[in-house]
Amino acid sequence: MENIKQLVLAKVPDALIEEKQYLTVTVKPEDLRTLAKALRYDEAAGFDYLVQLTGVDYGDSLGVVYFLSTSKDLNRTVVVKTATADRENPMIPTVSDIWGTANLNEREVFGFLGIRFIDHPDMRHLFLTERWKGYPLRKDYDASEVQNPLDLTSYDMPETSVKWVSGEDGIKEEKIQLFKDDDYVLNIGPQHPATHGVLHFRTVLDGEIIQKIDVNCGYIHRGIEKLSENLTYPQILHFTDRLDYLSAHINRHALCMCVEKAAGIEVPRRAEYIRTIMDELSRVTSHLLSWACMCMDMGALTAFIYGMRDREKVLDIFEETCGGRLIQNYNVVGGVMADIHPNFVKKVKEFIPYMRKNLKEYHQLYTGNVIARQRMIGVGHLSFETAVSYAVSGPVGRASGFSCDLRKIAPYAAYDQVEFKEIVRTEGDCLARYMNRLDEIEESLHIIEQLVDSIPEGDFCAKTKAIIKLPEGEYFQRIEAARGEFGVYILSKGDKTPYRLKFRSPSMALVSVMDTVCQGAKIADLITIGGSMDYVIPDIDR
Amino acid sequence: MKSIIKYITSIFQAIFSLLSGMAVTMKELFTKKVTEQYPENRHTTLNVYERVRGELVMPHDENNEHACTGCGICQMNCPNGTIKVVTKMVEVEEGAKPKKALDRYYYDLGKCTFCNLCVLNCPSKAIKFQNTFENSVFTREKLYETLNKEGSKVREKNKE
Amino acid sequence: MFDFSIVTTWIDEFLRTYLPEFWVLAIEFVVVGVVLLALYCVIALILIYFERKICAFFQCRLGPNRVGPYGVFQSVADMLKMLIKEIIPINHTDKILFYLAPFFVLVASFLAFGALPFGRGLQAIDMNIGVFYLLSVSSLGVLGILLAGWSSNNKYSMIGAMRSGAQLISYELSAGLSLMTIVVLSGTMQLSTMVENQSNCWYLFQGHISAVIAFIIYLIAGHAETNRGPFDLPEAESELTAGYHTEYSGLQFGFFYLAEYLNMFIIASIATTVFLGGWMPFHVTGMDGFNAVMDYIPSVIWFFGKVFVLMFFSLWVRWTFPRLRIDQLLNLEWKYLLPINMVNLLLMVLLVIYGLTL
Repeated sequence: MENIKQLVLAKVPDALIEEKQYLTVTVKPEDLRTLAKALRYDEAAGFDYLVQLTGVDYGDSLGVVYFLSTSKDLNRTVVVKTATADRENPMIPTVSDIWGTANLNEREVFGFLGIRFIDHPDMRHLFLTERWKGYPLRKDYDASEVQNPLDLTSYDMPETSVKWVSGEDGIKEEKIQLFKDDDYVLNIGPQHPATHGVLHFRTVLDGEIIQKIDVNCGYIHRGIEKLSENLTYPQILHFTDRLDYLSAHINRHALCMCVEKAAGIEVPRRAEYIRTIMDELSRVTSHLLSWACMCMDMGALTAFIYGMRDREKVLDIFEETCGGRLIQNYNVVGGVMADIHPNFVKKVKEFIPYMRKNLKEYHQLYTGNVIARQRMIGVGHLSFETAVSYAVSGPVGRASGFSCDLRKIAPYAAYDQVEFKEIVRTEGDCLARYMNRLDEIEESLHIIEQLVDSIPEGDFCAKTKAIIKLPEGEYFQRIEAARGEFGVYILSKGDKTPYRLKFRSPSMALVSVMDTVCQGAKIADLITIGGSMDYVIPDIDR
Repeated sequence: MKSIIKYITSIFQAIFSLLSGMAVTMKELFTKKVTEQYPENRHTTLNVYERVRGELVMPHDENNEHACTGCGICQMNCPNGTIKVVTKMVEVEEGAKPKKALDRYYYDLGKCTFCNLCVLNCPSKAIKFQNTFENSVFTREKLYETLNKEGSKVREKNKE
Repeated sequence: MFDFSIVTTWIDEFLRTYLPEFWVLAIEFVVVGVVLLALYCVIALILIYFERKICAFFQCRLGPNRVGPYGVFQSVADMLKMLIKEIIPINHTDKILFYLAPFFVLVASFLAFGALPFGRGLQAIDMNIGVFYLLSVSSLGVLGILLAGWSSNNKYSMIGAMRSGAQLISYELSAGLSLMTIVVLSGTMQLSTMVENQSNCWYLFQGHISAVIAFIIYLIAGHAETNRGPFDLPEAESELTAGYHTEYSGLQFGFFYLAEYLNMFIIASIATTVFLGGWMPFHVTGMDGFNAVMDYIPSVIWFFGKVFVLMFFSLWVRWTFPRLRIDQLLNLEWKYLLPINMVNLLLMVLLVIYGLTL
């Protein structure tokens, strides 16, 4: 860390460096790009993985928090903060040419806080329409219906955007056209059987070849981050189940871990083992559903039903212990909500050999099939550099050679007690992503069978105060969800409600890379690539 | 010559992979089907686990008494305002101050997210989730339920 | 075996004794047309039920089992629903072509349906260019599909129709060439003569290697002709939300739906007639007792039995495999099926010249 401090002070002498949970550097907006380029391109630093980009309203200023990491060692992290006191017309330089993932994230910050990013290629709102008045995440936002009435009129989607370009004589606004006049634009979604949710792609086609994809999300935006600012920590937990509902346990685990670490609550060993087993079962169901939907998108409807039938067995196990199938509602701050059902261990032990047998059947039915292989090999190539730049993690990132499994690199809960392989492939095409998921199911089964027989006795939940207050400060937590790296950022001012809560969504990175990956592919390939990326829309839109 | 051999072997490999896939579905044709005939099997094979969070209820015993003291902790904990506790003042014995008791306990099944915070935080264990799941009605107003029955009152704690 | 031509000639003579020539012919035409139409619709209903049940069994679920015992009236309910659904008129479409398109598809498949031999003496049209007629008439369906896609004024439909047009025109070549292989073996194109010639041994066994290859190629190409199975990209539900028939509703969609199932039936029937002996029972030369037992089963049962076995294969393939992409589809045809077909035709000619057939 010392050489990072020296590097920072060498480039930006008046930066403020603090040692909090991570090394935090605060700079003024003018020096942001110098520092960002130094951290990214310098040999000693090499911070090429932008994990989170969060916009915060500090009351007197509006700022952005960047959480950076390196692709070679995910444990090396640094936090960069910047703020501008101008609330009428806040401007911060963009970093979207340095890290590709900043593109969509900065659009989100613009939509919610009003901060304009200088030289960003396409400064539009991401989730809200351009007719929305006010910036929702600001503390002085007027949420009444008078300001933004419910509008049921239909209007065309915009085809222009703005860019704030810096030049010699200040910053100017420039209009840009999204589509040329003779472009053949096809709307895929929002209601479409293959987009896995309500997502709208405006695809520019040339015959069958795709030239550009414009992603339009926000159809299922529920304002979870703004809602959380008025609720206590136990009350926020039920939102996390509804973000990426396929790995509901894992998201809730992340928020519980963040609060527990910040408040200094110790989780009993029994609860950690139970949480780990439930996490892995969630991962199995999520990958099964992803496999089933990918096969269905390519036309093999029978494979879909087989995946669902096997998923039912795990959902039965969940229902018996947690009380819910999709929304399990099981983790609480301090442990789990209730002890495991007496039948739990027996049913899990019956499930493991059943699933292994069926995995062999899946490989025989679909993986070796010549038609399926021809549709997946070489399709949708994602290179290592693009994956890291767009912060793509999870099975997709690992299929491009990016070794990013947080369970191995920064173990939490009971993952340091088990042995398992990290599945990394280097081809980066759809077949690699597909095989990654099926192999990860096998590894999850291996983890579960190592843990299920040795759950320690003890409490299933630690005693916590009735009202949990986190001490003042910023807290980050990262966890490996089924789709990639899920993160929680809490900025607390010592109250029982968070001042700012942000969820880092893995699916947003997956969707942001669709444009790059689908260049030159056919429409049928777009469906295959979308199926292999496996994004879940409520996770993107929060 | 090599490309012709590759061409022919690729054809045979392709056919073999297709046939092995077809064998899997053929085997599946004869296995026992997993479909449950739902409304007819309500009392036979349908197995709804007891921890399933179907509907919030306030258990009443045979004297039509419940355990809710009207403290309102569940209402404070509920994230989206599903529960509304309306209390009234009740006369006790002569000379003592009137006590607070539960008048009506309103629960909106249409808004509930089944997060279980009310049940976990209730100090007198007065409410719990039951596993009845067939709760659909035709109008939304019917979902706004009153959980305490007519004429019921709180169970007196025995003073030892 | 019962010869249905006894019945048909009896009816014919019965009518001739009472009525003049013109009326006899008129009544016969009307009766044959009505019988064929009814058979067309009834077979479609049976096929729809068959497909839903078999598809459900492949997917480890039960399929329709509430409407009638084992769900047998499900197709009837579907038919009623299709008849009473509203036909939604769309603005900005080319109205004449829009309404005309389903009829092209239906008429093409009906024309082919009329020329099939259903049993001994049960063939409506028996021309001496039977095979050639069947091939040419089934290619009229392409027109209907292209018209449907074009006149719908919908980008999805047009993409679907263009893909479908390319696919159908390519695969007709393979289907035609593989049927020509058998014509070389049989020496005639007339369907009834072909069936008669298979009374001792089916062409599939007579032409051994070459006929088996031609059979497999014909089945694959026939699948692609009907937009079914792994070749259903033009109407891929999960990609283009129904492709060229997106904008059709009610009975117009019913026509497309009907024509698709009947096309599958027609391809299977042509394959049966040409390769598997049509309504001829399975005879083995030299085993007279066995042959007599085989003769007991009526010819209609033989024909429909063979057709249903081939259609089971078709369903099996459809519900197991994913879809091919359009360029892979055309690749399969032009680089694999067509060269193999041409080599196979040459092989069959050599077999016939040197008398190596059974």
